[in-house]
Amino acid sequence: MSIIKQNLRGLIQPLIAVVIGLIAGAIAILAVGGSVTETYMEMWKGAFGSFYFLTNTLARATPIILAGLGVALAFRAGFFNMGADGQMVLGGLSAALTALYFPGPGWVVLLASIIAGIITGGLWSFFAGWLDAKFGMNLLITTLLLNYIATLFTGYMVAYPFMDKTGSAAMAQSEMIEQSVWLPKLFQGMGLHAGFIIAIVAAVLLHFFMKKTTMGYEIRMLGSNPLFASYGGVRRGRMMMIAMLVSGGFAGLAGAGEVLGTQYRFLDGSLTSANYAWSGIMATLLANSHPLGTALAAILLSALQTGAMGVERNTDVPLEVASVIQAVLTLFVSARIGYTFWKRRKGKQKNGTTT
Amino acid sequence: MEQLLDAALFSSTLRVVTPILLAALGGALCSRVGLFNVALEGFVLVGAFSGIVGNYLFGNVWLAVLFAVLCVMFFSLIFGYMSINLNANPIVVGISLNFLATGMTTFLLRAIFNVKGAYYDSTMVGLPKWDIPVIKDIPWIGEVISGQSPLVYLAFILMGVLQFYLFKTVSGFRLRSVGENPVAAQSIGIKVRKHQYTAVLACGVLCGLAGAQLSLGQVTMFTEGMTAGRGFIALVATMLGQANPLGVMASSLLFGFMDAFGIRLQGLAIPSHFTNMLPYIVTLIAMFFFKDRSYLKDANKAGGSSR
Repeated sequence: MSIIKQNLRGLIQPLIAVVIGLIAGAIAILAVGGSVTETYMEMWKGAFGSFYFLTNTLARATPIILAGLGVALAFRAGFFNMGADGQMVLGGLSAALTALYFPGPGWVVLLASIIAGIITGGLWSFFAGWLDAKFGMNLLITTLLLNYIATLFTGYMVAYPFMDKTGSAAMAQSEMIEQSVWLPKLFQGMGLHAGFIIAIVAAVLLHFFMKKTTMGYEIRMLGSNPLFASYGGVRRGRMMMIAMLVSGGFAGLAGAGEVLGTQYRFLDGSLTSANYAWSGIMATLLANSHPLGTALAAILLSALQTGAMGVERNTDVPLEVASVIQAVLTLFVSARIGYTFWKRRKGKQKNGTTT
Repeated sequence: MEQLLDAALFSSTLRVVTPILLAALGGALCSRVGLFNVALEGFVLVGAFSGIVGNYLFGNVWLAVLFAVLCVMFFSLIFGYMSINLNANPIVVGISLNFLATGMTTFLLRAIFNVKGAYYDSTMVGLPKWDIPVIKDIPWIGEVISGQSPLVYLAFILMGVLQFYLFKTVSGFRLRSVGENPVAAQSIGIKVRKHQYTAVLACGVLCGLAGAQLSLGQVTMFTEGMTAGRGFIALVATMLGQANPLGVMASSLLFGFMDAFGIRLQGLAIPSHFTNMLPYIVTLIAMFFFKDRSYLKDANKAGGSSR
């Protein structure tokens, strides 16, 4: 019973936020002279209106879920990993290159590519964790800086050494991956691919890892009460590096899934401009770093984004209305999250700033 | 090498550095009162956008700058209210305010100007370039310093003013005490919240100026997400400079110089990817060498990555 109650309580907060976000969206719609009900109807239709749109939404949600899960793990441990973007593009690039050049039958190459994506993303993130644990370089800043370096590096790789010279289009992209290495589509003719199943399984696994294992407990303890954790023998530096390694691994997997399941090549800017990584961070904030909640929030955000495309097609309201809704609901939730964060911290830092 | 390091390079360094310096000074003020402001990026973006909107509405570049400053002050109030009154974690609030800034500016760009991606109007007048009477005749220095937008000069003047204010005046000392030890400050009757709000609002003013320089200074246009991480770089400059205006200026100049130098290096057939990477790599290396543990601890206390 108490488990149900606990999970329900986790749901109520995002629900209120969604309502507030929709109200903000309504104001924005009215401001540009659109009809609120019509716009939201179109948004619903664009996101869930038909089987095609539904699978479209879920396909878009796939990388957001995975990136969000990685960030959620790091946030839970109290580390602000802002580098999902860079970790994701590096994961995507190495998955694409492995898929192109690794010898063997299709499924072996596919597996190797996915693993390569996870490892690359993980190592890039681990680097930031190492810099903080070893040299005290603030993680939030280094991960942000490493994003730019990773994005520019992948851009270079597909613009020079691994550029696709077979096609006529002179775009910064790698060659097309062979069909035998593709992640299979779940339904004929739909965008949804096996990566979605991987993402959902990953969410469930992470949930049980955080809940049931010693390490998961240590991570949660470190995030909620660092002093208690260190008293209990949790080594913060070591934990930071491990948490960042896994966190980046998820982001790398997100990139690999996009490359192997949707684009079948690495195209410069396609992962960053779609804002998958930042949507993942939003999803994490919305769900208060709860793995299953993050997956749900990711689907919600993706629905807003695909729904907004429907709005753009069929009404005069611009699709950017979705970003207003997303931002407002994230902001609203963040105040509450912040409150709990603060309550946890209060124990060790009783100063009078608030009175 | 001669051609690489000419006066034009330093002149463009000053231009590049101004928005970063202004925002970083704002960030420094915020960290001096114990608020780690990750929202600088969003602040500057709002400033850049409202600068263009102000110019469009009033047709006067000075009113536009004023409008940008006011808009960002309002935006910074949200940050202040949530992190001071609601006790929300400033980092989380900062991240979501960045989302809000991106979302709002792209939406309003569509709503007001009915364009996607970028707004440009050739009839719009940007910030003037000021020639400084005597200095402009000095051979090399004149070329570097003279002929910049007024906000460039203002940025460096404000740096000096802030340095003086923080370390030489009573009021500045009180402001710093709020960040150093709020309990002690409170106990001798310093109004902690008032000082925090002052710092946040001043940060809003500085970021508004930074945004105005970005959208009205060199080119008179707004593009979606035109800050392109400058706010985050300003955050790095704040940390590198240990929230000390002079140090903040030095680290902003380092980044700005590397940025301008990187663009210059593109002439040498080095792929632009690597030249664009240069400032970020140099900043990382600088972070490695110039870290101050005690300051880091302060940032952490305010809810940094290592709480």
